[in-house]
Amino acid sequence: MKKSGELQNSPQAASKKVARQKVLLGLVGAFVVLLAVLPLFASGFWMRTLTLLFLLAAMAEGWNFIGGYTGYAAFGNVAFFGIGAYGTALSMLRLHFPFFLALLVGAAAAMLFAVLVGLPVLRLKGHYFAIATVALATGVGEVADFWTDFTGGAAGLTLPFFHPIQLSNYFFYYIAFVLVLFGLGLTYFIMKRKLGYSWLAIREDEDAAKMMGINTTWSKVVAFALSALMAGLAGGIYAYWNTFVLAEEVFKIEYTLQMILATVLGGPGTVFGPFIGAFIYYILITLLVFFLPVGQLHATILGLIIILVMVFTPQGVMDFLSGRKRLTLSALLENIRTHKV
Amino acid sequence: MNQEVIFETQGITKYFGGLAAVDNVDMKIHKGEILGLIGPNGAGKTTFVNTITGMLRPTRGRVIFKGQDITGWPAYRVGRLGIARTFQIVKPFLGMTVRENVAVGAMFGHKGKTRTTRQALEKADEVLEFVEMGHLRNHFADQLTLAYLKRLELAKALAMEPELLFLDEVMAGLNSREIEEAMEMIRKINASGVTLLIIEHVMKAIAGVTHRVFVLNFGTELAQGSPEEVLNDPRVIQAYLGEKFVERQRRMQQASPQQ
Repeated sequence: MKKSGELQNSPQAASKKVARQKVLLGLVGAFVVLLAVLPLFASGFWMRTLTLLFLLAAMAEGWNFIGGYTGYAAFGNVAFFGIGAYGTALSMLRLHFPFFLALLVGAAAAMLFAVLVGLPVLRLKGHYFAIATVALATGVGEVADFWTDFTGGAAGLTLPFFHPIQLSNYFFYYIAFVLVLFGLGLTYFIMKRKLGYSWLAIREDEDAAKMMGINTTWSKVVAFALSALMAGLAGGIYAYWNTFVLAEEVFKIEYTLQMILATVLGGPGTVFGPFIGAFIYYILITLLVFFLPVGQLHATILGLIIILVMVFTPQGVMDFLSGRKRLTLSALLENIRTHKV
Repeated sequence: MNQEVIFETQGITKYFGGLAAVDNVDMKIHKGEILGLIGPNGAGKTTFVNTITGMLRPTRGRVIFKGQDITGWPAYRVGRLGIARTFQIVKPFLGMTVRENVAVGAMFGHKGKTRTTRQALEKADEVLEFVEMGHLRNHFADQLTLAYLKRLELAKALAMEPELLFLDEVMAGLNSREIEEAMEMIRKINASGVTLLIIEHVMKAIAGVTHRVFVLNFGTELAQGSPEEVLNDPRVIQAYLGEKFVERQRRMQQASPQQ
């Protein structure tokens, strides 16, 4: 037996781990309270920035289900964002549904699409799955762009403003914030249950998972549909907030990349990882673009930062926050050694 | 021994392209026995097990478990019905603890539907005590040695509470003390009421724990019978060790007739 592991079993180590989890939970709790009262002080600019950040965090939480926990590198989740946006917009414009009902219709449409597409596509693995999802997202975007009679095509869809307009910023801030909390709660809830265990088993070894009685197709489709739920809700909120939906805007592949980046930066396969990663990513990019005198170099610098984070903490910053690794130079260098290709 | 047949294959055949990896195999497994499945490398043992557990679909033939035709069932349904297996190349869930690895079996296996997550974790503790790995329950699977990984495979399968258990080379790579321990474990599992099919190259284990042996060569049945009969069968020795060895053995026997 390796001796290195013994420490983790000792009662002292266990209580230390519990203590650390409590501290982490306390910090996140304090942070959530801070965000809840922030609109009392924050400027309109920061409220809008944070609203976008929340939508990204929610999508990242969704991506975490399929990409982080189940281990399927989905590269087309923006399709769900776009379908959620169009579903919500079309329900409001054509069916005159109130916003919240329309939002549910949009999210349901995204989930339905995930199930229909997931059944065949989730049979693929690795690169093949990744490429198929990119292709699907691009395809749906094209349909939205050219099916002019239904989607308005290149002219887009214009939605009514939120009423009363003075409260608009607050409304969208809080609804996006609630969505993020819902995502955290949903993740925690699922990972305590059989569905969560089945995702982890599939990620670690799908054949063994199958043989142990897991209906892997069903588990994967549920993971995919729940990631569609989060992205679809984010898309619907974004549509109403933006009051304008255009295919080339809501099906941008950058959104997929952002949700993956946020998850990977924070820690894939962890409850808080995507939430924390979304903050790191979005605050960095906002600082670089708006506040630091770096001119056109902001994308380059962001890229550099991402490379450094990936090199030093390939499992995301949650590795350090949860105490699995200590934030020391030797631990950082160890990461390079163990993950070199 | 009880002669009730718990599991049966009829003419199971699996082609890979034009090659018959398993060809027309009829096998009966009796309730309560330990059946050994042996054969030289490439004889089709693992493919046979893959074909009858739903990992692969048979090209032809039928698989019957407790009177029910389960031919072509997906692996997860076979698993839930009460058949478990281990893999020759161990398949631990590396990112999960030992306890969670085993709990997956208790959650989704034979009686998984009746259990909550908490009950499955308790069942996992029980199984880990049985295989004497209780002290490792909170370790991550990637911290285990090969001997413990093999035993983890066993624990995961046992947590499914199977009636029939296929063990695919659980002793390969173990040292002789570990092999003794594994043999003891197999007897203990069998004594608890589980029927076993064990694929093994370690002849000491085959001779020591099995009640009956089935030999596969080039995908077809070569012989079956008691371990003594089969392990002394010239055809089996030839399949394993070649024509020359059989010749030499015959000459040695002639040189020193019945003592």
